[in-house]
Amino acid sequence: MQDPTIPTHNQHNSDFWTGFSVLLIGIFLCSPLQAAEKKKNTYEDEDIYLRSVYRSPEQLAAFYEGREFPKAAIKRIIQSCYVTIILKNKTDDILWLELDNWIFEQKSKIIQRYNRTYWNQQWDEVKLQQSHRSTFGWTLMPEIRDLRPGEGVGGSVPIPMQTENFSLTLNFATGKDKKGKLKSVKLPKIHCKQDIDE
Amino acid sequence: MIKNFTFILLILLTTNQALWAKESLPTGLIHLDGRQAPPLVLNDMDGNPFDLSKLKGHWVFVHFWATWCGPCRKEIPTIQAILSEYEDSNLKFAIINTAESEDLIFEFLGIVAPDIVPLMDNDGLVTERWQPRGLPATFFVDPKGKLRYLALGGRPWDKDIYKDFLNKMR
Repeated sequence: MQDPTIPTHNQHNSDFWTGFSVLLIGIFLCSPLQAAEKKKNTYEDEDIYLRSVYRSPEQLAAFYEGREFPKAAIKRIIQSCYVTIILKNKTDDILWLELDNWIFEQKSKIIQRYNRTYWNQQWDEVKLQQSHRSTFGWTLMPEIRDLRPGEGVGGSVPIPMQTENFSLTLNFATGKDKKGKLKSVKLPKIHCKQDIDE
Repeated sequence: MIKNFTFILLILLTTNQALWAKESLPTGLIHLDGRQAPPLVLNDMDGNPFDLSKLKGHWVFVHFWATWCGPCRKEIPTIQAILSEYEDSNLKFAIINTAESEDLIFEFLGIVAPDIVPLMDNDGLVTERWQPRGLPATFFVDPKGKLRYLALGGRPWDKDIYKDFLNKMR
């Protein structure tokens, strides 16, 4: 006899279809809004496609709770603001993603991002298990990447939580030896999404 | 005259060799330098052991993914769609989940790709050792155990252009 506490694929399917229906209704109701939001947060020219995504602390907490992160780690995570960037190199050359060349600025004051060393310290303090460190690490934007023609990349860049708008200037060296023309895109007015925004 | 002919022949042979070494690849695939593949010793979700070094003589499709990653969710059904076509071929598949729980994987794959039994990189350290450029990532290991190609991001493996590429390894 099958153990009733072990979920079967059929049970999962039933849950799935219920969830899927709710999702479809949600998509139907929200899609014009989402499309407008997506367009607002998208920049594109002949060299680059770039989209920014913002998640509120509640959304972030839900994501990590779903992955069984301990409360102490989630508490640390939601204290930061995450600017998630999805970008694609549309040139025929190498585009250098280097986070040290990205500038977060608020009223002429530089906002320092939280790098991987910062997060390792946080995780040591809360004794976060390796699998969760790994998952969190893969959700972050790589520190450096030689983006090949047509290659895309996405990830979050955490910064201290901000209550006011700020700008992000993304500078990219180009060419194999980084000696090509500097590519620069400025997102002039971005913000940390709060739960109240929704 | 014979000297000239030999020279031209040599040029032709060299060019041909270079073309062979850098044959054109489907969009999103790049050549790797042929360094030795890192070790890959893991258990699959059913507890069966897997060791890449035991697959010498075969091409191996080494794929890293996670359920939370958007492009992975789009790509994994395309892997499921081709698996059975290569079952008895020279191309083997190693599909590695990065650092997720069995429950999450079971729930996800049960719906989108029930034939895939992933290898479990429980702590994520094997993935880190392979240094993919992000998730998802697919490496191709040649029959000598060397890294030959890398797919950048998710690819629609069930499309003809990618299947033609895979068929060369079967």
